[in-house]
Amino acid sequence: MDYSLKRMDDPGAAPSLDEQVRKSVFLGKLEDLAHHAVNWGRKNSLWPFNFGLSCCYVEMATAFTSTHDLARFGSEVIRATPRQSDVIVISGTPFLKMAPVIKLLYEQMLEPKWVISMGSCANSGGMYDIYSVVQGVDKILPVDVYISGCPPRPEAFLQALILLQNSIQSERRPLSWMVGPQGVTKMPALSMRDARHAERMAATDLRTPDDV
Amino acid sequence: MMSSAVLQEAQPTGIVGELYARFPGEGLVEQATADGMPTLWVPAAKLLAVMKTLKRELRQPYRMLYDLTAVDERQRQHRNGLPVADFTVVYQLLSIERNADVRIKVALSGDAPCCPSVTGLWLNANWYEREVWDLFGIRFEGHPHLVRIMMPRTWDGHPLRKDHFARATEAERLVMDQARVEREQEALKIDPAEWGMREVAEDHDTMVLNLGPNHPSVHGVFRIMLQLDGEQIVQAVPDIGYHHRGAEKMGERQSWHTYIPYTDRIDYLGGVMNNLPYLMAIERMAGITVPSRAQTIRVMLCEFFRITSHLLFYGTYAQDVGSMSPVFFMFVDRQKAYDVIEAITGFRMHPAWFRIGGVAADLPNGWERLVREFLDWMPKRLKDYEKMALKNTILKRRSVGIGTYSTQDAIDWGVTGPGLRATGLAFDWRKARPYSGYEHFDFEVPTGNNGDVYDRCVVRVEEIRQSLRIIEQCLDHMPSGDYKARHPLTTPPIKDRTMQDIETLIHHFLNVSWGPVIPAGECTMTVEATKGLNSYYLTSDGGTASYRTRIRTPSFPHLQMIPYISRGLMVPDLIAIIASIDFVMADVDR
Repeated sequence: MDYSLKRMDDPGAAPSLDEQVRKSVFLGKLEDLAHHAVNWGRKNSLWPFNFGLSCCYVEMATAFTSTHDLARFGSEVIRATPRQSDVIVISGTPFLKMAPVIKLLYEQMLEPKWVISMGSCANSGGMYDIYSVVQGVDKILPVDVYISGCPPRPEAFLQALILLQNSIQSERRPLSWMVGPQGVTKMPALSMRDARHAERMAATDLRTPDDV
Repeated sequence: MMSSAVLQEAQPTGIVGELYARFPGEGLVEQATADGMPTLWVPAAKLLAVMKTLKRELRQPYRMLYDLTAVDERQRQHRNGLPVADFTVVYQLLSIERNADVRIKVALSGDAPCCPSVTGLWLNANWYEREVWDLFGIRFEGHPHLVRIMMPRTWDGHPLRKDHFARATEAERLVMDQARVEREQEALKIDPAEWGMREVAEDHDTMVLNLGPNHPSVHGVFRIMLQLDGEQIVQAVPDIGYHHRGAEKMGERQSWHTYIPYTDRIDYLGGVMNNLPYLMAIERMAGITVPSRAQTIRVMLCEFFRITSHLLFYGTYAQDVGSMSPVFFMFVDRQKAYDVIEAITGFRMHPAWFRIGGVAADLPNGWERLVREFLDWMPKRLKDYEKMALKNTILKRRSVGIGTYSTQDAIDWGVTGPGLRATGLAFDWRKARPYSGYEHFDFEVPTGNNGDVYDRCVVRVEEIRQSLRIIEQCLDHMPSGDYKARHPLTTPPIKDRTMQDIETLIHHFLNVSWGPVIPAGECTMTVEATKGLNSYYLTSDGGTASYRTRIRTPSFPHLQMIPYISRGLMVPDLIAIIASIDFVMADVDR
């Protein structure tokens, strides 16, 4: 909100009617407000499922600890059961032998639920195009955010969480099975490569690795 | 000693001579290998007799079955008079008394090969033989329960055979529909009778509990089937294979150089330490001598990774026995170590920074300051942790006297590394067979007394201190010189002369385009990795890729021992035992 200070006895200082209305009356749709409030609550208490597959899980765990501190984003409440968690992070390689288990665990999570695919293996199989690896976890479950890297840094995981939060804020889910249209409307997926292209191309001075 | 296999005609000495004398005219054939390890081909019919001699009858016997694997020989070109074989089963035995190894090979033929089982001699042969059956389709006569271990039971075929497809994209497109999920879940169901879970008494019920493959305290995708009497463990049956990434098959397709990143992901907490045994084996076959600066840089980074790995162990171990806070402190230290590692290698967990013949780049300017800062930081933190964790009464009561085994048990089960040293035996590969210049460093081998959960932790904590000592010596005495060997097979070669003479230009071009061609031969190299002894057994057929890459990891036999040390204990004790083993599943299933 904008503020300015004016003298009370200055006749020109009295706010116009329009301004008075703008400052004291809230106009909006109750439905939007309700969605906004619900989404705000959801995005700031994303409870992750305690689930890890391989190397990426170590970087994910690093994001939980003091230096990166996931609690800043309301996601430090790790749940050991899928039934209490909101987000599953597929941190590692989706192995063929593990795939039915991953699928079952995902199905045991309650709606609303989200999936973050962490690292190259979960994104696409990565460097493991091999008989025992599923070529991307999106072959078996829907994915909301992909994190690139092998493994991604903990900061990349935090960024993914923020992206997921932004996406949740603009989601539309039915407030009740009685209210409004049913079904989920999500924000169109955002490509970070496109979003950052101009900025990256503008970089001309790259630090040499010769000095620390 | 170099290059292709040459059959030795001269009078063999040492262990080979001893065996020749005991089994005259029985068809034993010696093979020369690049690593100089005594290698003997034994007819399948004589295998058990020879193995029994090696394990029980010699004066200083080979008591540890260090590795058991197989090779599909059907497409191998450079066999140079080796016995005719379609498949070879390879046994590697270790004698701690002799400080020596021996490699025994058995030639098998046909599409359904069969070999006598050595499970009667070595307890840990069980899983190794199941693995060979699963991946090669070799049957072991007399094995108590020969079923798949890595692949799902619904799998068809044996992936490490040369005629089996390698890529997932070559297989049929995966459809994980409800029917498939149900079928796979059905295959994962526990049949108590199959695993020897019998009723303890007529009027007494036991419970079967499934722990994993996703459970917060099993450290990855690992499953244990438990038979419980109340909360007491009657039987614990580990089930592995959920983390099988086909790393050995991958070695047959990547060039010698491009396989390096895959090694980082074997023991994924060990980082560049995984590169070392792989590269040492290649360098031995290629005849490359690594300059002392490169060797010292390698040692320094390996010890950094030993510290980060042990710190992760320390924190999660404390957490598993009920102490939440240490892990938060220890991850801060890990960050500090990663800051140094990242400044030097440019990456955190998997730098893949070692190269054939040296390392990827020289140390950056100012590395000394970073290393010094870490060396100043760490010791006082370790002192804090001693009060916070090691002397904590709850931690002690949950771990002292739990999961105890003796040195003899450890050797029987193939246990190496801190798990072996905690039983009181000071066997460290860096001292027993120094590599990469470890003989020039001054450090001690910490040991425990009781071989229990607590001692395994104490040994690792002391190892962190010893690693700091080694890093300090690297810092104080870093040799000058090249960071990579000037040898034609170094990949990629040092570039400074590339534009000056045609010879280096051509080597550079070839090594970075199709990769180096390593002379045909076989070589095993071992390092003292973070979790125990880690070996790469490479077979080159004179090509740009390995013919067979065998990765012997320490965690595989360690997990096999769980039933033996957890019987009769409570479930929380099992969690403490699992934590004390310090494994990562990639190091088990590869």
